[in-house]
Amino acid sequence: MAHRAVTTSMPMPRATDVVRLRVNGDLYEVGVPAHYTLLEALRYELLLTGSKQGCDKGDCGACTVIIDGRATLSCLTPVHEAEERDVVTVEGLASADGPHPLQDEFDLKGAAQCGFCTPGILCSAAALLARTPDPSRDEIREALAGNLCRCTGYTKIFEAVEGAAARLRVE
Amino acid sequence: MLRLPEYRYHQPRALAEALSLLVEHQGDVMPVAGGTDLIPNMKHRLFEPGHLVALKRVEELKGIHEENGHLRLGATETLTDVAESRVVRGCFPALAEAAGHVAGPQLRNMATIGGNLCLETRCTYYNQTAFWRQALGYCLKKDGSICHVTKVGRKCVAAHSADTPPVLAVLDAVAVLEGPQGRREVPVGDFFVADGIANTRREPGELVTEIRVPLGPRTRRAAYAKLRQRNSIDFPLLTVAVSADMDRDLTVHELKGVVTGLGARPRELAGWSEIARGHVLDDDLIDALAERALAQCHPLENMIVDPEWRRAMVPVYIRKALRRLF
Amino acid sequence: MIKRAHRVGSELTVVGQPQRKIEGLAKSTGRAIYTDDLTLPGMLHGKILRSPHPHARIVSIDTTAAEALEGVHAVVTGRDMPITYGIIPWTPDEFPLCVDRVRYIGDGVAAVAAVDEDTAIRALAEIRVEYEELPPFLDPFDSLAADGSTPWIHQPKKEGRNGNITKHVHLEFGDVDGLMDGSDVVVEGEYHFEGTTHTPIEPHCAIGLFESGGGPGGKLTVWSATQVPHYLHRELARVLEIDPARVRVVQPLVGGAFGGKSEPFDLEFCVAKLSMKAGRPVKILYTREEVFYAHRGRHPFHMRYRTGCRADGRLRSVDARIVLDGGAYASFGLVTTYYSGQLLCAPYAMPAYRFDSTRVYTNKPACGPKRGHGSVQPRFAFEVQMDKLAERVGLDPIDMRRLNFIGEHTRTVNDLRVTSNGFLECLDAVERSSDWREKFRKMPFGQGIGVAGSTYISGTNYPIYPNDMPQSAVQMQIDRSGRVAVFSGASEIGQGCDSLVAYIACEELGVPLDHVRVLRGDTDFTPVDLGAYSSRVTFMLGNAAIDAARKLRKMVCEAVAADWEVKPSEVLLAGGRALWAPDTARQMTVREAFNLAEARFGTLGATGWYDTPKDVHGEYRGGTIGASPAYSFTAHVAEVEVDVETGFVDVKKIWIAHDCGRALNPVLVEGQMEGSAYMGFAEAIMEEHVFKDAEHGRGGLHNAPSLLDYRIPTSLDTPELESLIVESIDPEGPYGAKEAGEGPLHPSIPAIANAIYDAVGVRLDRLPFSPPAVWRALEAAASSGGARKPAAPGTVEVTAPRP
Repeated sequence: MAHRAVTTSMPMPRATDVVRLRVNGDLYEVGVPAHYTLLEALRYELLLTGSKQGCDKGDCGACTVIIDGRATLSCLTPVHEAEERDVVTVEGLASADGPHPLQDEFDLKGAAQCGFCTPGILCSAAALLARTPDPSRDEIREALAGNLCRCTGYTKIFEAVEGAAARLRVE
Repeated sequence: MLRLPEYRYHQPRALAEALSLLVEHQGDVMPVAGGTDLIPNMKHRLFEPGHLVALKRVEELKGIHEENGHLRLGATETLTDVAESRVVRGCFPALAEAAGHVAGPQLRNMATIGGNLCLETRCTYYNQTAFWRQALGYCLKKDGSICHVTKVGRKCVAAHSADTPPVLAVLDAVAVLEGPQGRREVPVGDFFVADGIANTRREPGELVTEIRVPLGPRTRRAAYAKLRQRNSIDFPLLTVAVSADMDRDLTVHELKGVVTGLGARPRELAGWSEIARGHVLDDDLIDALAERALAQCHPLENMIVDPEWRRAMVPVYIRKALRRLF
Repeated sequence: MIKRAHRVGSELTVVGQPQRKIEGLAKSTGRAIYTDDLTLPGMLHGKILRSPHPHARIVSIDTTAAEALEGVHAVVTGRDMPITYGIIPWTPDEFPLCVDRVRYIGDGVAAVAAVDEDTAIRALAEIRVEYEELPPFLDPFDSLAADGSTPWIHQPKKEGRNGNITKHVHLEFGDVDGLMDGSDVVVEGEYHFEGTTHTPIEPHCAIGLFESGGGPGGKLTVWSATQVPHYLHRELARVLEIDPARVRVVQPLVGGAFGGKSEPFDLEFCVAKLSMKAGRPVKILYTREEVFYAHRGRHPFHMRYRTGCRADGRLRSVDARIVLDGGAYASFGLVTTYYSGQLLCAPYAMPAYRFDSTRVYTNKPACGPKRGHGSVQPRFAFEVQMDKLAERVGLDPIDMRRLNFIGEHTRTVNDLRVTSNGFLECLDAVERSSDWREKFRKMPFGQGIGVAGSTYISGTNYPIYPNDMPQSAVQMQIDRSGRVAVFSGASEIGQGCDSLVAYIACEELGVPLDHVRVLRGDTDFTPVDLGAYSSRVTFMLGNAAIDAARKLRKMVCEAVAADWEVKPSEVLLAGGRALWAPDTARQMTVREAFNLAEARFGTLGATGWYDTPKDVHGEYRGGTIGASPAYSFTAHVAEVEVDVETGFVDVKKIWIAHDCGRALNPVLVEGQMEGSAYMGFAEAIMEEHVFKDAEHGRGGLHNAPSLLDYRIPTSLDTPELESLIVESIDPEGPYGAKEAGEGPLHPSIPAIANAIYDAVGVRLDRLPFSPPAVWRALEAAASSGGARKPAAPGTVEVTAPRP
């Protein structure tokens, strides 16, 4: 800004690190503030904005991504902790052939209303189905118990996960 | 978004390297494993270390296996790993259950058994943002001079709120610590002190490297019961762990009980073995034990949930836990 | 899977069928864009400094140190925007940032824009604010009793009045006292509904971009997660003194709202003003803590009800006194105060009714409209009163409700016009599905079942600011590719209103769903819709879309008819084709039909709009508030198991029967019903939006502004939910449809309360029914003889206490 008064205070001592992240199969080398979380790096540096920020600090699950096969809260993961690991976000679930059956079932069953918790729930659900291809309703409830949804009452989400599990078993 | 303060992140691969980093940055450094407790606390500006020493890549801190008559739990094994471990489930189902009921699934995938042992005490006047605490006028535990729970005194009564330590304590587990002064072992039952500001015997330069749970010829039986309002995410309002050395006919030789969610340290219930020794663990004995426990447990307003109700739940959850010993 | 409890046949081919949502896959693949997903070139990040005091005078603000900080581009305070605003035009009592008084902990005082959030946070710490603390009012009854010896929260409009009162409403219909005296049974009860908050998972976020130059004045664009772009547009223009023609509001997808984003908030004014000062775009994203301070959630209500009925169970008279704890600002409070009474007069006929409601200010975050605005609280009290009366007269509570059914095509005691009414079918459906007759008063001690009913509006009859223009409108155009473009200003907040206009385009114009584009959420190119509130969207937007689509269909059918040399009325549009009704082998694609129409009439576009009928309410003062073109009706049955040792109430299942007129897409209707019932369950069992008192740290401090401590149910806590759609086909609704998004919340709470009573014989008249509260109630019962199963209906003698 051209007309601003001359600044008097010290510039910020900001540490920036270059981190190497493998996200959805691609290796990215990206410079981030050293105190970024993985969520901030994904959303604001890699522009993978599918992962959401809902509660700031690990209480809601909207930021859930899959790291080395496990559903993980990216808002509590220092960005460096994700280096040398395999990160999958909601954007990485679909393939060139089309959406993941979970993604399609969420649409068909009306499991996403506002859609803000959906990316995190899909990551928890995908991690579940990778380990448990034929989950019971109770296993689905357990696996999604760290993802708050405020719209649906969860019923349609359970139905969508069951529908996707059935489709994946056939494929 | 609630932002983290700035820090440098160190990722040592070896224990010696981790320990020397802690020495090098002494006074401005904290170790971090799963981060599920520390990162929110840092976002709340409860801690603002200039350096974090990450432990998850340190090889020596991993592994769950039997070793010389005990089960060794590497400190950075996740709670999911502990809960799902075949050997833990086989030997110490109560420990697997406690680990499997911490917070929610993603938290358990990240949080570690060592971190759960070292979990920071919690209080409604403490686990809040910098703004909220400023509006409060701060508290004894951080930046202030008053405890809003007791309103008097110089003692912080923030609550021990972890699930696995009570179970580890009743199983006579031992925490192994390593630091600049070398290696030492502290029974989990003695690991905590009654000071909400710093409630463990771990020195700042030390790390919990592993937890050893003794495997006797006659393995002690343990059980666990937890009170919380939601079935996920929440911290415990009360946890009860009990263990018993009993004959097949339920005649008690030794009985232990530990309760958390009260003050800064888990409370080992006094006088239980005296009441129980030589008696059969029946409903009458269970009631007597529960009454004895009630007299010793006084939940405080360090949590936002009605302390009178939490107190009334002590005997209820003691009975639940004891019945699970059968 | 769709269960229609009551269904009417139709010729419709798209409407009524399960359909995908038009943005469904974008949401599930992560492509959907919400406000915080946007980054503009050169964008700055803003933060708002908030008051640490519940009530204080601002003595001075010094921002020089903050302005001098490297990376800070603009700082604003209340003095930069000294014009009050408020969603209700008669009660503008907020400044975008406080000018000389702060009224709750969290009230905005100053804002900065900086290169990044960290710098902005650092700059806030450099702002020096000197406060003079004032005694706060935290209890609504203290506010009410205030004598002016300490400063009012707001200056009274007239000298001598209590400045702590937002609104007092006293309305009486029929001979309340006479019919009460003549009642055979009178039940009196006091109820307390604790406040709750919306808790959308998306925190509020806004981006402001002021483009100066290119003419006098410049142009302001604000992107915001709002559910009322039109009202935001108006207030931005008014408060910032910019010609509304140079203000644009863009609404990206909204990550949940529930009423919590239905008025302007400080961040929207701040991003605009900061951008004007800095000459760069500015984004502010609330922290979760700030969402709790922004609030506008459900008011705490203190309620007293007297309800009288005849020995046969017929209602005679209802008398209510209500105190609403409004928090620091008026918000929608004027409406809330009316709704607290006006929306109670169906689905039961009541010959006489009086309510006296007073909304008071307190030094806490302002309350406002949350799903079921103003009527969830009295519905809880009233439906428990009904349960108590049913027991006294020895009636089954479902039969009691049937007996008092108000009927369809009638007027309520407060003179609201009721059209379609499927409430009896709702009662039948929940009674049948829940196996009620086998369970009520027959389950073992600790297990119970309860029923409740309710009604809700399908939109308000009048807009928030008086005007004679349409309440909703769309513009539709069709082109040579066979595509339909719908320009819709309605607010998609997850409920599916963008899909709704697409379904209507498909139904009327015969195109497949993927040939419809909905262009939305931008006041620059969409006609005005007033917003997503008061359950108005399906009814009003739906009618507007039908109006536009039918204008286009008429042209298309005429063109095809001319080509075929048949009558236009014989041309059908369906399944991607134009068909000749007498012989459907004669057909062409809709693309060909659209081309014929364009050749005949020129470029094809149409606007459609809807406005409400104006003769649907009484002529008394306040008679328009609560008036709606149609009302939805709901009945729930809840089944519970009470752990008498701990106080935990396990809600096993809720059966939800809802008369939505017609289910335009039954999947979405079920989603609204389940989501509503879930939210009611949550309020019943868990949620309480409360504050510390002076004995606990600091009075007025939010008890728990986080998603850890403000507990909303997880997947493990939520009961099984079964939706039972009832279709009454409203004569004025689009294809007969009415609302489904708010009505089905209401009965959850009293149904659970009544089920707890059935389980353990203990009445819980205070919310929430959290384990400690239930445990205390059971302890109290134990000290007076013990909790036990109540007696079955028909086993109690009714004694008439005639004076």
